Amino acid sequence: MKTAGKPSTINYQLSTNRQFVWRIVDFIVAGIFIYAGALKAIDPVQFASDIDNYKILPWPVSVALAFYLPWLEILCALGLVFRFLYRGALSILTASIVVFTLATIAAKVRGLDITCGCFGHASQHWSFPAHLITNLAILAGLLLLSFKAISGNRPQNAL
Amino acid sequence: MAALALLPAAGEAIYFRDKISWRSAIAPSEMVTVEQARGWDDTAIWVDARPDDEFASDHVPGAISLNEDRWNELLPQFLAVWAPGKKIIVYCSSLSCNASREVAHRLRKEAQLSDVFVLEGGWEAWLKKNR
Repeated sequence: MKTAGKPSTINYQLSTNRQFVWRIVDFIVAGIFIYAGALKAIDPVQFASDIDNYKILPWPVSVALAFYLPWLEILCALGLVFRFLYRGALSILTASIVVFTLATIAAKVRGLDITCGCFGHASQHWSFPAHLITNLAILAGLLLLSFKAISGNRPQNAL
Repeated sequence: MAALALLPAAGEAIYFRDKISWRSAIAPSEMVTVEQARGWDDTAIWVDARPDDEFASDHVPGAISLNEDRWNELLPQFLAVWAPGKKIIVYCSSLSCNASREVAHRLRKEAQLSDVFVLEGGWEAWLKKNR
């Protein structure tokens, strides 16, 4: 007698598909940060100038961040890809995008005509709404992954 | 992970040590000291990036005013004096001011001029060494 798929088999298939979709989101977000980090790591001089344009931090701090932040982004993005220190990587990337978004808004409010430097020279001529929408889209992706990481560890949501 | 990122960052800081200054936003290769500028003598043009009132009160002898407030008006006047091969020394009030850096940047980008330098310490440094 032919039987339809067993409930456990169907559930397993659904779970696998969901995991696959989440992994794609992981790779997309990680890809964005690896690309953005690499562009900035290649030209830290320009990135230091971009940070300085926000007129928030003293120059030596801008230089230190210009050397440090791109590598932090790249390593955290690799953490998402290889699921190494996953939650920590998500937290750091979320914090960094929140800080950059707030700094961009603050700069706009203060009337500063700035380059966010988020994607190196590629973002040089982006408008303020373009910066904001990009940052918010990335933030949405990170929050989704964070939500999944937290809820995925609960036994009742094991699927 | 945060600690791990320090390693490549430190390596990069060492690699780029000649291209970026920790003290000032201007690359060491784009800066000039008062002593060096003195050596250039007639081969250099002095550009005062400070506001009009500060330029009017005093400035480096022979300097031309070129500030961002009246950029479009003053740039043609500067270009009339400039000649190929001349070095351009831009200065503003002191070490902490940004005007000279901005004007130097615009001269390179917008006027496509090379040999544009920023005076280390600005007008304050020049005063100390010359008066």
